[in-house]
Amino acid sequence: MKTLITIAWRNIWRHPARSGVLLAAVVVGLWAGVVTVGTVNGLMQQRVDYLIDSEIAHAQIHHPEFLAEGYSWLFIPDHEGILDWLDADPRVTAWSARTMTDGMLQSPIKTSGVRIRGIDIQQETGTTDFHENMVDGEYLDSDVRNAVIVGRSLASDHNLRIGNRLVLVFEDVNNELTSGSFNIVGFFESASTEFDDRNVYVRSGDFSRYLADELIVHEIAMRFSEPEMAATVVGDINSAFSGVEAQTWRELSPELNVLVELGDVMLYVITMIIMMALAFGILNTMLMALFERMREIGMLLSIGMSKARVFSMILLESVILTLSGALTGIILAWLSVLYLAENGINLEQFAAGVAELGWDHIIYPIISFPEYAGIVVLVIVITLLSSVYPAIKAIRINPLEAARDA
Amino acid sequence: MALVRTENLSKVYNPDTVPVHALRDVSVTIEPGEFTSIVGPSGSGKTTLLNMIGGLDKPSSGKVFINGTDITGMKDSKLIDFRLRNIGFVFQHYNLIPVFTARENISFIMLLQNRDKKEMLSRADELLDKVGLGDRKDARPKEMSGGQQQRVAVARALASEPKFILADEPTANLDSSSAMNLLDIMSRMNKEQNVTFVFSTHDQRVIDRARRVITMVDGAVDSDERRENGNDNEKE
Repeated sequence: MKTLITIAWRNIWRHPARSGVLLAAVVVGLWAGVVTVGTVNGLMQQRVDYLIDSEIAHAQIHHPEFLAEGYSWLFIPDHEGILDWLDADPRVTAWSARTMTDGMLQSPIKTSGVRIRGIDIQQETGTTDFHENMVDGEYLDSDVRNAVIVGRSLASDHNLRIGNRLVLVFEDVNNELTSGSFNIVGFFESASTEFDDRNVYVRSGDFSRYLADELIVHEIAMRFSEPEMAATVVGDINSAFSGVEAQTWRELSPELNVLVELGDVMLYVITMIIMMALAFGILNTMLMALFERMREIGMLLSIGMSKARVFSMILLESVILTLSGALTGIILAWLSVLYLAENGINLEQFAAGVAELGWDHIIYPIISFPEYAGIVVLVIVITLLSSVYPAIKAIRINPLEAARDA
Repeated sequence: MALVRTENLSKVYNPDTVPVHALRDVSVTIEPGEFTSIVGPSGSGKTTLLNMIGGLDKPSSGKVFINGTDITGMKDSKLIDFRLRNIGFVFQHYNLIPVFTARENISFIMLLQNRDKKEMLSRADELLDKVGLGDRKDARPKEMSGGQQQRVAVARALASEPKFILADEPTANLDSSSAMNLLDIMSRMNKEQNVTFVFSTHDQRVIDRARRVITMVDGAVDSDERRENGNDNEKE
């Protein structure tokens, strides 16, 4: 075996340029593949984290029809009983009770459909970090009466400034059209322009007054000590309370789930393209090497080298060549991911575009050990598969090639 | 028992389209210790005969016996092992492994025989000394002349301790002095160690040194001449 490895290694370096090109292709291919996989992973994780941290939290409770209809009369019955239950459960670390409905924003120049979100500042700050999205003016802790904060893009559409008034029109719990005048105290800018265009925030106390005689709650967002607990806690809530529906973030944001799955498909496609290029690279190099060595392999078979040994020799050549490239590529990729996970990939140039899609402009690649291992195993399998054909061709060489004239 | 015996050996290429009769009913016998040259013009069948004896090609009909064993029906894998243990090959184009040194090229065949490593290396050194290349042990083929490479090839053929050595046009690519030097080595091995050589050639210098000359014409044996002093012409 040692001699086979020696002969394979020396054969590889018979044509340093040719082997070097394949080696470089493997290194660059693997590096690019791993970094791409890490970046796509990072993008997905970032989106999930962002939605959980700034908006959805780990789970939410609603009236079963509220999410589909958005009417104000579809509020949570006996929300206080539920909130007491949540306070008593040690798994629940924070919650935020929100009063909300769909309505219209009217400014002097136009009207837009928005979701009006009434929040309790203390509860919301403990549950999400939405307040970090403030870019101008004050948050809802302002002393101004009927304060409202709007997305910067929506404000600019309506030509609204801080201090301006706007009118929110909505239906109260009695199905009566109601309106209220609100004072703009600040602008927010989340990672998603679409979200900024369709949501405004007010204080739940202010908003409830317009909707009903008492404080009503349409949504309770919850955070747990471990995100994985979401399904269990949600199950417990659903069995403890009737007339409400609790859902995990996965259920609440099916589009996010689709996105994560789409990310997986993208990774699969990228990996397959790289692996196919690798396979053809190996096949091409090994066949070229083989055609040049017909006489030599004929000689080896003539003097008594067994077909198994010739087969192994050819296989070893491609395995050694590819694996040294793959190892280098993986190490480079690991170092790159390590650096980028710390410093991020800055997409500021395309930030406007990525914000439309709901992404932040700095991406931190993530890649897990099983993913590294999976790529290495895939490279080994592809290498072996693409070396089998040249190796079979090698053992089919007629020993008489050894005696053939050049 | 004859070392090599062929029985009505025939080889026809393209039997269904344009048949080419490379061998016709060739029956020859080679005894241990012979220094035999197979001669004839191009296309006379000498290389084909050599390939049949070496188990590199299969006859269309007839049989080849090596030390009494019929090799014509042997499976490929068994034949490879048979060649490894019984036959040494010297090729016209030397065919050394280019990435190996002279010493490694010679050891390699012993390695295929699973011999002891220490024994392999000492035997390789001993053989290199015998072929006059004791000082070129670590040279790779491209660092050696054609004559030197062919001497390594002879050493490699001897290394496996075969029953006989087949050499196909061993001097065809060598200049005169290298050719004579190679022949000196081969005939010395033959005389001193009773190594059997069978070689195809149309080089008159080689023919002059042979003790038996089998002449082939159109795939058949035309003459079979034995000489008393064939390889005694070695230059002192």
